[in-house]
Amino acid sequence: MSGAAPLLEVRGLGKRFEARAGRAEAFWAIRDLSFSVADREFLTIVGPSGSGKSTLLNLIAQIDSTTEGEVRFRDQLIASPTAGTLRPGWDRQFGYVTQDDTLLPWRTLLENVLFPLRVQNRLSTDMRERAAGLLHAVGLEGFERHYPHELSGGMRKRAALIRTLVYDPPVILMDEPFGALDAQTRTQLQEDLLRLWNLGRKTIVFVTHDIAEAIALGDRTLVFTRAPAHVHSEHAIPLARPRDVASIYTVDGFADLHAAIRKELA
Amino acid sequence: MIVGGRVLVGVAGLVLWQLAQWVLGAEWISGPVDVLQRMAEITVNGQLVRHTAATLMEAAFGFVLGGGAGILLPFALRLSPRLTAALDPFFAAALGVPKLALAPLLILWFGIGIFSKVVFVAAVVFFFLFFNTLAGVRSMEPRLAAAVRVFGGREWTVTREIAWHTALPYVFAGLKVALPRAISAAVVGEFIASDRGLGYYINNARAMADTVGLFTGVAVVTLLVLAIDAALERLQARSLAWRPLAREIGV
Repeated sequence: MSGAAPLLEVRGLGKRFEARAGRAEAFWAIRDLSFSVADREFLTIVGPSGSGKSTLLNLIAQIDSTTEGEVRFRDQLIASPTAGTLRPGWDRQFGYVTQDDTLLPWRTLLENVLFPLRVQNRLSTDMRERAAGLLHAVGLEGFERHYPHELSGGMRKRAALIRTLVYDPPVILMDEPFGALDAQTRTQLQEDLLRLWNLGRKTIVFVTHDIAEAIALGDRTLVFTRAPAHVHSEHAIPLARPRDVASIYTVDGFADLHAAIRKELA
Repeated sequence: MIVGGRVLVGVAGLVLWQLAQWVLGAEWISGPVDVLQRMAEITVNGQLVRHTAATLMEAAFGFVLGGGAGILLPFALRLSPRLTAALDPFFAAALGVPKLALAPLLILWFGIGIFSKVVFVAAVVFFFLFFNTLAGVRSMEPRLAAAVRVFGGREWTVTREIAWHTALPYVFAGLKVALPRAISAAVVGEFIASDRGLGYYINNARAMADTVGLFTGVAVVTLLVLAIDAALERLQARSLAWRPLAREIGV
């Protein structure tokens, strides 16, 4: 395996949803989609709503099966129409933070954060300390014994985020994780995410429909077309790190990039 | 306040009951004084414990058998949606059979001992728990199951963590209805043929035109159901403490 090989590679990927009651025709959510992600890269993907971005992440996470094309991880074929049984998360290599948090309503915040470790049989004193550290880092200390319904939307998003960070998957897929939040909470969470990412850089594939978010967070951003989605264009984001998300609008180069992507999405 | 109100209503009920005896006559209605006196008598001579134990034992065995199957089967069926769909009409048909009408048949098959009552209780209880639990398992959120699988969880973890917790409120709803019926089923089974149990005691009192005995038997069955229901409520409050609803209304 050469050092230059991408960590994750998507080649000619396609997903067709079959016709069913209430939707007369089969349709392609994704077709001819190809891109690659380097190790420790923060890749953002912007596209219009309903452009198959979530479908893409479901295919990479192996929650859903592909119709054509393939996904390779560390030069190994992990998803293709003939790949056989799905293996969600590909043996803990992919973390997935979804649009609505999937916290378990019957478990407290701390139990939720520790839950992946419990499932993986890795619950140790060290890991508990790691979880405590993450809870502290995102300001959730003191809420460990609260149930999800007793937390605010922003707190639940933070909990969902560190629940995935705690078991340290090499790749984290994020599907508009900060979508339903108010602007201020959203900026705060974006800053939290960048700070955590800086502490231990992982590979992140972050899907959003917010151009500013895509630029503020990513090393590189892909612009998707409408469904069936494929890559319309690609932009390197040369903004220096660490970035100040709240004032990212004023940084040189942001406005031009924003205008360019906006035009492509129109 | 609430407790005070309850005591008041309770006392009023007892007074009305006693009044009913005086107005309508002791051969038709036995008031609480006579019933309490009889309870004391049968407690001392051991009848109360003997009959209650027999009824409870039948109800408990039947409940474990029928309830256990009713709760566990939906979790097994979850693994094969096609089998479940295929069996659906048969479950509905089996539900349609009036279980009470089966009691004489069960006695013919299993004799007048404890076994026929156990089977009868099991048949009654099974359906309440089966259909409730099935609805609960089916209401499981696929996105939660997907999250558990992404963490590396297997089917067993999905069942244990997601299906179980989702179904639990439904299971309790089923238990709430099924537990009193388990006792009733045992008593009805004893009416038909038995040599012990609260149903036997009541039926025997009827044969002897012993109004006090009839009322006492019914009162004991009622107290038994109330005690079991109270225990169930406590278990439910503990098990479902995470639910916002259960907390706010202070169950």
